[in-house]
Amino acid sequence: MMHVSPVREPLINGEKSYNDITSDVMAPIKAKPGKLWYGGLTVSVIVMLIGFAMIGYTVWFGIGTWGVNRTIGWGWSITNFVWWVGIGHAGTFISAILLLFRQKWRTSINRAAEAMTIFAVMCAGLFPLIHMGRLPLGFFILPYPNTRELWVNFNSPLLWDVFAITTYLLVSLLFWYFGLIPDLGTIRDRMKTLWKKKIYNFLSFGWQGSARHWQRHESMSLILAGLAAPLVLSVHTIVSFDFATSVIPGWHTTIFPPYFVSGAVFSGFAMVLTLMIVTRKALNLQEYITVGHVESMNKVIIATGSIVGIAYITELFMAWYSGVEYERYAFMNRALGPYAWAYWIMMTCNVISPQLLWIKKLRRNLAFTFVLSIFINIGMWFERFVIVVTSLHRDYLPSSWSMYKPTIIEVAIYLGTFGLFFTLFFIFIRVFPVIAIAEVKSVARSSARKFLGKPTKNQKPENQ
Amino acid sequence: MSEENKYWHILEEFEPMKDVRLPKGREEVVSPTSRRNFLKVLGLGTASAALIASCKRPVEKAIPYFIKPEEITPGKAAYYASSYFNQNEFCNVLVKVRDNRPIKLEPNPKSVITPNGTSGRVQASVLDVYNVNRYQHPQKNGETIDWETADGEIVSQLRQLADSGQPVVLLTPTIISPSTKKLIGEFSAAFNAEWYQYDAIPMDGFRDANKRVFGTTALPEYHFEKADCIVSVGSDFLGTWLSPVEFSGQYAKRRDLFNGDGNLNRHYQIEAGMSLTGSNADERIRAERADYGKILAYIYNQLASQRGIATIEVPTPPQEIIQKLEKVLADLNASEGKSLVVCGDNNPDYQVLVNGINQMLGNIGNAIQFERTYNHFQGSEKSLEILLNSDPGALIVWDVNPVYNHPESGKIKAAIEKAPLSVAISALPDETTELCRYVLPSPGYLECWDDAEYKNGIVSVLQPTLHKLFDARQAQESLLAWLGNETSWRDYIKSNWASTYFPQQSEQTDPDLFWVETLKKGELVVEATPVSITFNQFEIENSVQNINAEKPAEDFTIELFENINIGTGHGPLNPWLHEVPDPVTRIAWDNYASVSPAVAREMGLINGDIVQLGSLTIPAFVQPGQADKTISIAVGYGRVKGIPEELITGVNAWPLAKVENGFRQFTTSGFSITKTGGHEEMALVQGHQSMEGRPIVRESTLDKWKEDPAAGNELHEEIKHHHTTLYEKHEYKGHKWGMAIDLNKCIGCSACVLACNTENNIPVVGKKETARHHEMHWIRIDRYYNGDEENPEVVRQPVMCQHCDNAPCENVCPVAATNHSSEGLNQMAYNRCIGTRYCNNNCPYKVRRFNWMDYTGADAIPNNRYDPANMTLDLSRMRHNPDVTVRAKGVIEKCSFCVQRIQEKKLTAKNEGRQLEDGELQPACQQACPANAIVFGDLNDPNSKVSKMMQDPRNYHLLEELHTLPSVGYLTKIRNKS
Amino acid sequence: MEAIVYGHFTDELELLDAVKALKNKGIRIADVRTPFPVHGLDAALKFPRSHLPKIAFAAGIIGGSLGLLFQVWVFTEGWPLNIGGKPYLSLPSFVPVTFELTILFAAFAMGFAFLLRSNLGPGKIPNILDEEVTNDHFQIILSAKNNNLSEAELAEALEATGALEVKHINAEK
Repeated sequence: MMHVSPVREPLINGEKSYNDITSDVMAPIKAKPGKLWYGGLTVSVIVMLIGFAMIGYTVWFGIGTWGVNRTIGWGWSITNFVWWVGIGHAGTFISAILLLFRQKWRTSINRAAEAMTIFAVMCAGLFPLIHMGRLPLGFFILPYPNTRELWVNFNSPLLWDVFAITTYLLVSLLFWYFGLIPDLGTIRDRMKTLWKKKIYNFLSFGWQGSARHWQRHESMSLILAGLAAPLVLSVHTIVSFDFATSVIPGWHTTIFPPYFVSGAVFSGFAMVLTLMIVTRKALNLQEYITVGHVESMNKVIIATGSIVGIAYITELFMAWYSGVEYERYAFMNRALGPYAWAYWIMMTCNVISPQLLWIKKLRRNLAFTFVLSIFINIGMWFERFVIVVTSLHRDYLPSSWSMYKPTIIEVAIYLGTFGLFFTLFFIFIRVFPVIAIAEVKSVARSSARKFLGKPTKNQKPENQ
Repeated sequence: MSEENKYWHILEEFEPMKDVRLPKGREEVVSPTSRRNFLKVLGLGTASAALIASCKRPVEKAIPYFIKPEEITPGKAAYYASSYFNQNEFCNVLVKVRDNRPIKLEPNPKSVITPNGTSGRVQASVLDVYNVNRYQHPQKNGETIDWETADGEIVSQLRQLADSGQPVVLLTPTIISPSTKKLIGEFSAAFNAEWYQYDAIPMDGFRDANKRVFGTTALPEYHFEKADCIVSVGSDFLGTWLSPVEFSGQYAKRRDLFNGDGNLNRHYQIEAGMSLTGSNADERIRAERADYGKILAYIYNQLASQRGIATIEVPTPPQEIIQKLEKVLADLNASEGKSLVVCGDNNPDYQVLVNGINQMLGNIGNAIQFERTYNHFQGSEKSLEILLNSDPGALIVWDVNPVYNHPESGKIKAAIEKAPLSVAISALPDETTELCRYVLPSPGYLECWDDAEYKNGIVSVLQPTLHKLFDARQAQESLLAWLGNETSWRDYIKSNWASTYFPQQSEQTDPDLFWVETLKKGELVVEATPVSITFNQFEIENSVQNINAEKPAEDFTIELFENINIGTGHGPLNPWLHEVPDPVTRIAWDNYASVSPAVAREMGLINGDIVQLGSLTIPAFVQPGQADKTISIAVGYGRVKGIPEELITGVNAWPLAKVENGFRQFTTSGFSITKTGGHEEMALVQGHQSMEGRPIVRESTLDKWKEDPAAGNELHEEIKHHHTTLYEKHEYKGHKWGMAIDLNKCIGCSACVLACNTENNIPVVGKKETARHHEMHWIRIDRYYNGDEENPEVVRQPVMCQHCDNAPCENVCPVAATNHSSEGLNQMAYNRCIGTRYCNNNCPYKVRRFNWMDYTGADAIPNNRYDPANMTLDLSRMRHNPDVTVRAKGVIEKCSFCVQRIQEKKLTAKNEGRQLEDGELQPACQQACPANAIVFGDLNDPNSKVSKMMQDPRNYHLLEELHTLPSVGYLTKIRNKS
Repeated sequence: MEAIVYGHFTDELELLDAVKALKNKGIRIADVRTPFPVHGLDAALKFPRSHLPKIAFAAGIIGGSLGLLFQVWVFTEGWPLNIGGKPYLSLPSFVPVTFELTILFAAFAMGFAFLLRSNLGPGKIPNILDEEVTNDHFQIILSAKNNNLSEAELAEALEATGALEVKHINAEK
């Protein structure tokens, strides 16, 4: 029947009324941004611009300005692509899959996580574009009608990527923005100055909170979640096809789809943690994004991290079990070859470190979590590096074996995408509510201390 | 662009009417062009080159035909018979000319000496004509002058000198042209000039040995195909020794198990540094360079004692070598009269012993014949000494560069500077020309009239295939001018032939027609009188004494050798040749000191560590199979004069050579290695030496093959059984192109690579890019070592696009830029490619190449060209094959099986209303291969040679277990070792 | 502007009770406005189930089949290419694109349907009676027109349910 088991800790601390929630979340939007914010924004913008300049340089002088060569055709570019896409997955996972599972704790973090998804996918999308030798002709990749009746190659995983990533970006945007609409309405009505009111009214699509709208909005969110859930799984599956469908030992692996997806969620949650732990402090939302939230996310990290770990070991086993000398060599080479250091960084960061989270103390320790989340981000980047580079650099014919070392250009471009990401994020936290106001309110009764154990007369059962 | 302006500036200045003397009636027959429309044609030539090179070129340069010259059909190639000669290489070639631009050299199938294949250097030589660094006007002390003044001044001074009795000296490379010899004779008579010939790497020691033993200085002709057992002591006869192109063909004939009767030759190589020939040997015996003499003496003594001939005591070679020699001696005895022993050293005593050995084994008259003896390598150190001591009044240096490549260049320098009159006749500026007062530019051989008698009684012609690009004049024309002879050089040759060779033949009755026919054939064979030889046993004893007297080598011995591509470094610096990696070390653009792994380990050297050897600082390279006490260094590098800054590469090793009792020697001992601590990134294209036990190159031995022809290839059948698929296969109606490569015949000379470069407009990327593994070659020759690093066995494998039926590259291209043709070709649509490089990643053979930067100037974005080798100037662009697209930046490219040739031949056949004949259609690589290792043809035709080879039990496909179904097959390598 | 009466609540549970009470009295409720979706409200208001899912489903089907058909057409009719020895019609390769298009169409069709149906969209001017509705007030709006009761009676009924402040907006004013 009804309500919260007393053992479950509240999702929101403090005596929060609905009004408190509104004003707390809106505080950063109303208040004047501080030095920290301006500083952060400037730095990110500068880094972003440098990155773009380097992209221009690459397009002008050619991919030859990178460290890739006849043997290793993809270096950092695709590594970063896969990494960023992976980061993105957490947002959708939290807002879609956790919604389907009715995980209420998601409400405090899903807004920010979704925003992160969108920004990450934007960064990711850059790389397949700029790694093209002829970016100006990149539009060839779209099946647009042309006089030669030339179409694209629907057999190519890279083409599937185009569809997957675009769809993912658009649907995430839709999901995110439609979720924002009611909150934008709330902000609109709190704005004093007319032009701000006007802007937010425009953005809020004229929301007025009618019961009918809420009904449709709810059912839409549910269906969107239902669509986004398989979508998010499909995206990294398809990304993994880039490798899984190839013939290169170390790429040609059927385990990749599940392994990539869990890896993606793994890294995504790590990134959410990194951001949230900072944001909650900076915007003092500690009472909304509580240690409880951090802990639940850490649980997800243990789960996915363990899956990833098992995947690594399975890979090794399969390589041996396949009996194919090329496969066997590829994995020997990963663990013991010239890039072994990368492999072992990956192993430590992704397999060993998350296991520490079995200890409740650490799971609830913010500082530790923060450090760990960064470790995981590094580890997951190296996972992609190991897959892309070490598989290629020693494939079938020893005559073609080679080594890969990125140039400063590649590094600058990678950093540039961080610039882009944080620029967008900094703007986001000032103009949009980082926490889904309406959603938090809707779970407040069952979770905010104010209401706990204070049933009203003939109370309506809640949704669980 | 500045070069362009410079180039057009030259054109305007050019006076076409001058010094081109063409007889009436010539044009109809074989004229490559005619003087009348020179400007039009050249204009069109350049413009079309430019247009082809990139559509961005301004069109106003094109000069259309007003009256189309009868012998030119735009878009249709004309072929002219000519010949290539450069020191140790001679080839009868057909020059492919498009719109009056020679663009490709192809072997002349009618040739007696080189009917199939050319060397890589021949292939690359087409570029030399379009070399921007060429002299463009006569010069005096660096000032441009015109020919009249030059001739006037030179002649008057020559006269004075002649009257004052001061010697006039003409220093030339070896001249094999009978007409030129005649002319030089006249010249010497007129100005009582002395004529000396000079070879960068001479064979005067060899000639001297023949004189001593056989009583003749003649260089005998060799028949490697007649030898069942070949023992080579440090002779790189497949790469650089005497007449390698010819020898490669002969050698390969006896490595052929597909056509041949399985009677392979057995090849022992006794050498210090790993040479191309050594890497092909059935058994390579690693020996110190300093022991060559002892080894030869030992072999001689053993054979002698077995034959009851007096032996002479000599210090014996090391024990382990003696053990290895057991087998060698046994085989030599077994194949008496059908064996061949050669030595690559210029030391006369060694050669004397070799002669003695061959005499004992009865090889003279079989594998060694004195009938059609060689006319090249006339240069002799002795005559050079005479020159230097005679302090000449006039020194005319013609196309030789002793100041660069003679160990005692100082003396020569002094002589030139001292001489009141010094004239250089050369196409390009070099160390020698820049010392001379007068410089007379000479054209490239593709602009020249000439004849050549490479082997006794086999006379070839050279004819111009384009008009002289610059204000240049053949040396012979200069001589004629100085003699006041009005006849054109061409007429001179013609009349010489009419008087000399016309009588010697019976086919033709009219001298003019005879001349025309010869020009068509390119070659004439007349009776040759065999050189009568005696045998002088006594000399052998002398030689053994000398070898006895050899003071033992202390410390490291340095041996200088000739790199197969770069040669002696004489002539223009050819970027193509520099970019092709050495077939043994697989390093491009550089020379280096090869040290043995043991030494390297002991001294802690890795590839590229700079070491100090005497006066030389040079990067070290760890060479498996290198003798511990011998260091090998390639000559021909380190040219500085007349070479663009960015192309100066390597270190000049010539100074390490020495003149020893009248002969130039290329080994010196008494060196120590010292690490300088410096390091240089060398352009090493294959870092990994081992096959990692993978079945990439499959090999077996002759005995095993005789039992089971599929020996070493058991995997093939096994894998075939596993080839199943869900899908039904695409069927290829009509043609289905395929290629078979006989690994037993491929000697790795890289001629195919250079032929491919020329045919397919492959860009040159330079040393830096090659070092970064950005090389662009469509075909590469992989080299793997197996066995111990002390003296490993070597296998080679040419790898180009395998044109797989199930091509992994095609599946992954997002824009379908690469897909399969109806004739089984894996084809690239360059225009469609957006350069994701996914295809390259997914290619198990890694044969796809990416245009990392704007190497060609075909890119749409301005000011981003990367062209370290000046290959994209208008002039260099004239070499482009107009049938092949020049690829833009950011595009993937790869071997197309020379699809342009396929289309052309198909069209010809169609027009003639017939089927394509097997073998009629040859891709550039097959055509250039001197060993006939590559066969191309139609797999749908069961009788085609290629289909038959694919049926051969030796045939397998590279990485066939991947079920990519390549259209390229390899025949296993079969070693003839016990 | 028509004459309407509205009342406020500060607790969604009280709101629900009020709605029920009004319904029992047979009073038609013009609109209820809440700062967040109140569970059980649509049931109390007896809203029919939304049609959005059906739209999404239909759009998905359309998108998917369009995608699939296009790919099939390209490789069989448009320009059949021999790619990697695969048959022209290699259906497995077409799955990912088909799937993505299904999702894309479904999601966006539904999004637009939602906006159209709810008459929301960029720049739409809402009719806000009280700005607290988007903060912490729950608002029941009764219209005199579709109830044949006087404003006074409606106000009375509202107050009876315990509405905090009951306000009139008269057509006359």
